Amino acid sequence: MTVSLAELTAASARLHNHTDLSDELYDDRIRDLVAYFRHLLSTDALSTFARDDFLLDNFDPSADSVAFLFILRSQIQKAKERTSENLPGDVWPTGKLWIRAVHFLKNFDRVQARYVGQEWRQLVELAGRAAQAASKPLLGARLVRDAMLRLDPSCAVFTSTHLLLVRLCLRARTYACALPVLDRHICYFPALVGRADSKAAQPLLCSEQESSLAFMGDASGLSSKLSSKDYLQYFLCGGMIYMALKQWRKALHFLGIVVSMPIAGSLSMIMVEAYKKWILVGLLEKGKLCPPPSLTSPHAAKMYQSLTRPYITLAQAFERDDVGRLKAEVNAAEHVWSTDNNTGLVAQVMNAFYKHTVIRLGKTFAALTMADLAEQALPWPTTEEDAESIIASLVMSSDLGARLLHSQKRTSSTMLRLSAVSHLPRLSHEMEMQVQLRNEGRSLKTLMSNLEQSNHQLGLSDEYIDNAQKNQLWAGSGEIPASEQVGLDMDEDIMGDLH
Amino acid sequence: MGLPPLSTAQLDNLTTSNLSPSQLFETLSHYESEACLATAGPGSTDPHMLSSFYSSFFIVHLLTDQVPEARALTQRMPETLRSQDPSLQNCMTLLRALWQTQHAQVYRILRDSPWPETLQPLVRRYESFFQDKTLIAVSSSYEAIRPAVAAMYLGLDEQAAEKGDPSIIQKFTAVGWTWDAEAELLLPKPIPTAATDSQSSNRIHEAMGMLGGRGS
Repeated sequence: MTVSLAELTAASARLHNHTDLSDELYDDRIRDLVAYFRHLLSTDALSTFARDDFLLDNFDPSADSVAFLFILRSQIQKAKERTSENLPGDVWPTGKLWIRAVHFLKNFDRVQARYVGQEWRQLVELAGRAAQAASKPLLGARLVRDAMLRLDPSCAVFTSTHLLLVRLCLRARTYACALPVLDRHICYFPALVGRADSKAAQPLLCSEQESSLAFMGDASGLSSKLSSKDYLQYFLCGGMIYMALKQWRKALHFLGIVVSMPIAGSLSMIMVEAYKKWILVGLLEKGKLCPPPSLTSPHAAKMYQSLTRPYITLAQAFERDDVGRLKAEVNAAEHVWSTDNNTGLVAQVMNAFYKHTVIRLGKTFAALTMADLAEQALPWPTTEEDAESIIASLVMSSDLGARLLHSQKRTSSTMLRLSAVSHLPRLSHEMEMQVQLRNEGRSLKTLMSNLEQSNHQLGLSDEYIDNAQKNQLWAGSGEIPASEQVGLDMDEDIMGDLH
Repeated sequence: MGLPPLSTAQLDNLTTSNLSPSQLFETLSHYESEACLATAGPGSTDPHMLSSFYSSFFIVHLLTDQVPEARALTQRMPETLRSQDPSLQNCMTLLRALWQTQHAQVYRILRDSPWPETLQPLVRRYESFFQDKTLIAVSSSYEAIRPAVAAMYLGLDEQAAEKGDPSIIQKFTAVGWTWDAEAELLLPKPIPTAATDSQSSNRIHEAMGMLGGRGS
């Protein structure tokens, strides 16, 4: 079977000017077109165009997404067969098929892409693999992120592409690039979507959807099969990205999700690795040994304790305000921190210790002189000037809620007033609060609408829970060290060499 | 988005433009892929253009207050460029001073280091940004401060400030601080930072309503 360019363009043109069509008709046309191209692909009818470098010039990915994607897919397949390589040179960055793939992923039509989920995902994965193979993960990271946000701006359904993105960002050390996706709440898993209400009328894929849930179910192909390991790795990698950006509170939240994962038997290595980081990040953010999240089973909590002994001991020394012991613990377990890729975090814990010592002093004293602070809070012999510089940077970065007071006499020591924050004009606090509340309000709105959708699903069928349980084919615990599973050897203290 | 290809001329246009820091960041982010590809083939690289790009992008990270990500950028740069290019060396020194909160050193690097002519507009913008940010931080961190220390934070003449130079004192009183001539101390007044959204109060009301209404 052969097909001409005129036939291909005519078939794709049926999707143009769709605003005049009803949703039903548009849906039918896209489905027909997808079936047509799948047939062409299966009968090798597109092979005549396999080496036609200009064929895709006849298609606009924003209007002819289905046609563009299938033709590109066919050309990639033929390049693979020709070179007997899984990643032929044409697919590598700057290759002619790479350029086409980038053009598609930046411009595809998000509605048409819903009908070709599997092909869309495979192209995204190919781009990610090619970028990594060329040691240019940065190229893949941006492309994958923008494609994800183009397809589903809410990113509320967890997919295998989420994991691909965070891995690429960690490898490329482009941490902020992941934030537009990481900062969005994940509310659903594809395996749990669209089965309970399968008897109910499914909305058309091309209709305006309130939630991406409607088009990102398991059958959409937009995600590959997921296991519990993927889920854990995503949140561990996400936590590491937040750590690199020193967003400790968010890092703690992500690590807490991994730590509190329900288990049937033993802990996975990923969970243990997350718990180690959880302890260190807890010290950095809260200045104390944070217990595992309340959802963690007592059985798991006990196992964590026994598997992370050096970390617990370190945290206890921190809490007891014992700088000598803290230093001794840091030195004694150097190889542990190094093996776990936590050396940078531990170094930051040492710095945070002094901040929290000052905060603790503030619970006893209303004010302290720099001379007192240099003696009581700072471990090394420090001049008053240096002590003021250290303390002032803590106050100015809002890490320490206090105010400094120079005295009239030049010889007198500078005073740190630890109870002075309440005297600040309320206006600036209120403004900060306003911004925070506004952000929280937005998050709540998103969560509430997704919660309503979940309630709706749960209400449709008594079998939903059974179904959901069947679909949760969580893989068992891993035997390989988690950092190797994640495939990263990242020292999260990106500022380590600047201390 | 139809951006022209990355070139020295395009970078010059951007660094001298009136684009906001976030717009500059967005635009230069798009160009990072091109810069990344430009380093792919041997002999295909224009070191001057790459130096200009990475230096500009670095300063724009600082202008958008992304110090950890600026550090990550220095790790993404081609190693040879980072270790040999004078402009990028300046960036590394600046990053170190910022990380160690050495204000005087930051101003020294910004003012005295040999920055390329094309980068000067961005460097000046960052100096002004850093000064404003520090002023806001000092205003809410000190109840009373000696003029010389305040001058050090803002990159002003410390010796003149110590002698009570009226022109320097006036810079502080102009932003609401009080000068206690007898005690020779400046009394800072916290500077409220503007809320970014004029409708924030309504949104807070909505958020509070949502919090209150869901409990029942």
